[in-house]
Amino acid sequence: MLFQLNYKSGKAVYLQLVDQVKAAAASGALHAGSPLPGIRPLAEELRVNRNTVAKAYSALESQGVIETIAGKGCFVRANHSPFKKEVRRKLLADTLDGAVIQAHHLQIDKADFLRVAEERFDALEHKRHAANS
Amino acid sequence: MLMTHNNPVIEVRNLVRRYGRTDAVDGLSLSVPAGRCYGFFGRNGAGKTTTIKCLLNLLRPTSGEVRVFGMDPAREEVAVKSRISYVPDYVAFYPWMTVRDALGYFASFRPTWNSETERALLEQFRLDPRQKTSHLSKGQRTQLALVIAICPEPELLILDEPTSGLDPIVRREFIRTVIGAYQDGDPGRRTVFVSTHLISEFEGLIDEFTIIDRGREVLTLNADAARARHEKSLEEIFVTTLQPHGVTA
Repeated sequence: MLFQLNYKSGKAVYLQLVDQVKAAAASGALHAGSPLPGIRPLAEELRVNRNTVAKAYSALESQGVIETIAGKGCFVRANHSPFKKEVRRKLLADTLDGAVIQAHHLQIDKADFLRVAEERFDALEHKRHAANS
Repeated sequence: MLMTHNNPVIEVRNLVRRYGRTDAVDGLSLSVPAGRCYGFFGRNGAGKTTTIKCLLNLLRPTSGEVRVFGMDPAREEVAVKSRISYVPDYVAFYPWMTVRDALGYFASFRPTWNSETERALLEQFRLDPRQKTSHLSKGQRTQLALVIAICPEPELLILDEPTSGLDPIVRREFIRTVIGAYQDGDPGRRTVFVSTHLISEFEGLIDEFTIIDRGREVLTLNADAARARHEKSLEEIFVTTLQPHGVTA
């Protein structure tokens, strides 16, 4: 699996890893049950501190994206957020607020925004199909 | 002396070291917690090596204090040094020794020596134990120094410009070895203190850093916080901090 770290982005390195694993799981590049690389080999490969990889994995685990099986390592889970529906909606709403504000400043109206959202959903779906075939 | 886990591994307070009329280090303070990988960044001549030599009791401070594992390295030299490994920027061995001799020589000073790690690293670096150390290249000498630094399983690994003058492949392998073989033991008790001006190489490894200039601390930050605040890599922060009209946070 390919990770790309960008130290210039201003984003914490562990969060970059979290987001990339989440993106890979959503796009089908990583299936449920796929193993993630071990902490040491991944840290060595990316030349990052082991704490950074460990922190990313524990964040992914608490979000229900991966699970740790003792003695075997970390695996991608079938979609199983540990949160209740209303909490998940709230989490999504928080993320979307940023996009809505950005849309305002880019003079993208609601209808256009929803069209873009639909396109992005389709693009991800497409990726997932491509990964499965 | 008993140590709790929260005590810093390295503590420097108002350190001053003068050479004649030059203040190489001029009132430096910093604190390195256990288990961290701490970057000590500065230009050539900023006072990095002088500070490190004070930690190792290779130089006496003119004033101020240094503590390593809570001890004064000048007064409890053996107790401090038995828990440290140091890789200097310029590595030299007794030229008549072979790689095997050098390993045995350094192992003889150490309470612990992990022969399994030694074997694995010699193989990884393709170092021939029968080779004379005087016939090693600069990269190979640094690799041998790293093997010698890691096998005793020290709690603190001090690296002073370890990768300057090495080719990029050797540099990468060096850093991978620090992440891999060195940190393999009890990670909470594996502290790295690395001085360098080649910051991009160590970018991912550093959790916290201090930039020094003319013997004084200019900036100390957690690496993620620094990147988030400046939206820059550590290397760019270093460059802009040390330019005449430095960054303002």
